[in-house]
Parts: sequence; structure tokens; C-alpha cells
Amino acid sequence: MKLRSVRYLTAEGVKNTWVNRLMSLASIGVLVACMVIIGLALLISANVNKAIGRLEQQNVIMAYMKDYNWALYGEKEESTPEEVQTSSQSTSSETTESEPAEQEKPDQNGIKPSDYVIHNEEEGKALCDQIAKLDNVQSVEYISSEAGLESVKVSMLEGQESYFTFLNEEYGNPMSAAAKVTMKDMALFSQTVKAIEGLDGIDVIQSQSDLADKITAIKRGIGVAGFWIIAILMVISLVIVSNTIRVTMYNRKLEISIMKAVGATDWFVRVPFIVEGMMIGLLSALIAEGLLYFCYRVATETIISTLGTSDIVHYRDMALQLLLIFIGIGIFAGVIGSFIMIRKYLRREGSEFTAI
Amino acid sequence: MAEVFTENAGDLAARPIIEFRGVCKTYPSGTHALEDINIRIGSGEFVFVVGSSGAGKSTFMKLIMREEKANTGLITVNGFNLSKMRRSQVPMLRRTMGIVFQDFRLIPNMNVFENVAFAMHVIGADRRTIRREVSNALSKVGLGNKARSMPAELSGGEQQRVGLARALVNKPDLIIADEPTGNVDPNMSYDIVSLLTEINKRGTTILMVTHDHNLVRDFHHRVIMLDSGRIVADNAGGEF
Repeated sequence: MKLRSVRYLTAEGVKNTWVNRLMSLASIGVLVACMVIIGLALLISANVNKAIGRLEQQNVIMAYMKDYNWALYGEKEESTPEEVQTSSQSTSSETTESEPAEQEKPDQNGIKPSDYVIHNEEEGKALCDQIAKLDNVQSVEYISSEAGLESVKVSMLEGQESYFTFLNEEYGNPMSAAAKVTMKDMALFSQTVKAIEGLDGIDVIQSQSDLADKITAIKRGIGVAGFWIIAILMVISLVIVSNTIRVTMYNRKLEISIMKAVGATDWFVRVPFIVEGMMIGLLSALIAEGLLYFCYRVATETIISTLGTSDIVHYRDMALQLLLIFIGIGIFAGVIGSFIMIRKYLRREGSEFTAI
Repeated sequence: MAEVFTENAGDLAARPIIEFRGVCKTYPSGTHALEDINIRIGSGEFVFVVGSSGAGKSTFMKLIMREEKANTGLITVNGFNLSKMRRSQVPMLRRTMGIVFQDFRLIPNMNVFENVAFAMHVIGADRRTIRREVSNALSKVGLGNKARSMPAELSGGEQQRVGLARALVNKPDLIIADEPTGNVDPNMSYDIVSLLTEINKRGTTILMVTHDHNLVRDFHHRVIMLDSGRIVADNAGGEF
């Protein structure tokens, strides 16, 4: 097709949108409604995801280490007589061969260095580094037993706090050092917990697995609902544009018959309708963007003033993304809708031109 | 692709522009529209196609324009073998012919100039050529001064002349006129056929379907008469 034909046909398509303005307006109205609903679904989903993101950040796990305090207070498994014997043998041989005898002497609490795995902060941090190397681990923070005790005391009621203070003063710090772990994806929560538990030096993991499951379920639900809303509205948009183009086509039967009679190719007949469909889609996208901006602004202002929260997704952060999605939907619906219709028409009625 | 024709004998022009050999057409409904049609129309001829309703005239024209496909037989038009023609080639065939409709088929929201120019836009002509050729075509049909008029402002005869200008503007070798005088008064009918005769004298082949026996008698051209899907008469000189 020649460039001047493309120019002529594009101009014809734009002109047709104006000539059939009533039908175009009706289609634009329905398309705008579909796009606004899609936009709202995306904005709601973005806001829910933001809220969930905050929850995810809070949903950290504490991996407590087998340190001195663990040996002192922890509930260790009872050793079998054989293990005790082997242990005492190896201890005695180590004592005699390489280790200084003082190192294996129990302290005033009866704890020997071989009774626990993490002996100092360096070893604790090294274990944290091992955790950080695992898949799905976003960040790891070493929490010393002292910091752990302070944080526990802060979260305690007055009576509980004084009990912990007493315990600390009488017997020493009851808290073990811990690794504070944040995960990337809560859906992989249990696998990650298992991997951390498998590391040497980890005693127990404290987590809120229920919350992780709920977050994962909510995210999945939002994803599925969003997909179906968009899919259904896309189909509606396609049908609407197709119908408009069909009406336009029947209104322009005369022109099509003349085109066919004077030797127009199918593409020559199609292009103005496709341009018209694109125009409808494009105009709808622009109107939907403006309307959604207005609606969202009103809604968010109301939410901020009534609930007092300002932690919501700003429209400007999603404006370009939404505009591109709307234009994509509009052009897709316009081009595909008109293409399907005109193809169908040309295969049936459009091939005849002597009787219209 | 174009097929090479053999030289035609007799009083026909040297190169047949339309040729039917053993053509039959039966519609899916079972209606036998045409049966065993054999005909040659030479380049530069003026031919009337006559016959009562249901005789097969419309089917005959539709086969020439490749709006319908023959069930059997061979049809060649303007060098195109219609029996082997693909759908994508049909526009090329139609660009070699001009079609005049009984109901004029003018686009009401376009003026006379635009209606004629429309046929040139379809073939991708440039603006300057369109301006020149449309003016020429309108002058040929005597409507040079009506270029800016809207179809509704014209008489039936004038509207048909616009239709004729549109058929002429791409300089076709063949003009197919499907009852062009069907919607105009008798005086205007004479004007239109006179105009077609003049166009024919300049070398364009004219194939005109008509019910008007007076026109056929008064303009001495070849007449093909169809009845019940068969050619029952083929006379030069307007006798039937």
C-alpha cells in the first residue's frame, strides 16, 4: 500500500470517528467504564500489596543460636550413656593432646566450651553470614543476647519485665544471641525456615508462620481476582468496539460496495475501520486516565481525612503505568475488534457489491 | 496472470476482451442461473445484454466482475483467467473495468468531485493526477460546472452521469453498465446511452444490461439476449 493511501485512509478513519460520533461516544463511554474499573482494580491491588509489604517487613523470624546462655538455660536433649562416654573419652584425649586442660574445665555454672556451638560474637556473625547466603533471605541482623534481653524487656508488661531483670541479676542473661531474618517471598517461608534450622549452631526458630500463610493467601487471591477482572473487562471492551465497528460498517455499506467495485483491496477497506477503532481506544484511554485520577484523588483525600493514614499509593507513582495500560487495552480492543468484524464482513456481504 | 488470446475471426474485433467457454453457474440453492454459455466480446465493442427477469443477466455480469465464480467453463476478462483467479487478484481485475450501477451509488455526504475522486484514491493516485483526471472525466460527461454540487442537488440523469464519470476516471478498457437508464426518464436515458456510445467510439468496450427495447432498437449495437440461463440470440445491429 502506498504512503499516500495510508495517509488518506488514516484521515478517513479519523473523519469516520467524528461522522459516527454518537456510536463512537457510546463505545467510548463503555470502554472508559471498563478502563476505570481495571485501573481501580490495579490501584486497590497496589495499595493492598503496599500494606502487605509492610506486614512482610514486620514478619521477621528470630533464629536463636546455641551459645553459652543456651547451654545454661536451654532444654538440651539428654545424652545417651555411650555419647557421654565417647564425649568424655574424646574430651580426655583432646585435653591430653592439644587443648589446654583449663579450657575444658567447667565454669562455676558447670558449662564447658564444648557444650555449646557459638562461643562469641564473631562466630554468631559468621552464622548470620551463612544464613544470608541462603535463597529467599533478604536481610540478616545479628542480635546479641544483651540486645535481645533489652528488646524483650521493652515488650514485656511491668511484672514480667521485673522478673526478667531479676533473672538476669541472679543467674545471668537468659536470652541467647539470635539472627533476625527477613525473607523475600513469604510463599517460600517453610522451606527457608527448614534451611536455617539445618545450619549448625541454630537452636530454635521463632516465627509467625500463620501470618506468612495468610499474607501468601491474600496475595494469591488479589492476583487471581485482578487477572479475572482484567480478562473479563478486556473481553467486554473487545465486544463493544466490535459492535461499534459493525454498525459503522453497515452504515458504510454503500462506500464499501463502491470501493470493491473500483478495485479496492481488502486492506484498503479495512484500514479506516481499524483507525476508527484505534481512535476510539485512544480517546477512551485518555478520558479514563483523567477520570481515574479525579476519582482516586477524591477517594484518597477522604480516606486520609477520615482514617488519618497517609500511607497509600500516590496516583502520580502509577500514572504513566496506568496510561500505558489503558492505551494498550484501547488500541488492542480497537484494532482486534475492528479487524475481526471487517474480516467477517468482507468474507460474507462485503465481497458482493452489485446488490447492497 | 494474463492469458494470450488467439486471433478472433469474423466481424468481432481482433482481441476479445470477454470470453466465455462452456460456462455454467448453479447457485448453492440449486438455481441454474446460466447453462453452457459461449460468447466472445471483442475489444471496442458496444454490447447490449437483454432478457426478462431471471434470464441470467445479473449472473452473467457478476461472473464478468468476478463477484461470482462459475461452476464449470472458462471465463477470461481483460486478459485475466477468472477460473483460476485468486481472491487477492480480484481488485486488479476490477481496476481494468468501470462499473455503472442502476441506483447511481453516489456517496451522499461527498460532493460530485469527491465522489469521482474516490475511485482514484482507491488505486492510490496522487492529488495532482486526481485533480486533473476528475476534471477531465466530469467534462466528458458534461458536468464540469457541477464539481462542488452535492448528489442530492442533481437530477437522476446528472447523478448517473457522475456515476459514469466515476467509472471512466481510471481509464478502464471495459465499462459495465447495469441498467444505467433504469432510474432516469426516457430523454435522459437517450443522453446516457449517447454518452456511452461516444465513450465507445474512443475505444472503450461497453457492456450494458437494459430492459429498454427502444434504446436497443435506436442505438444499433450488438445485442445478446438471455433466456432461462441460455443465450437465445446474439445479433449485431440491434435486432432481436
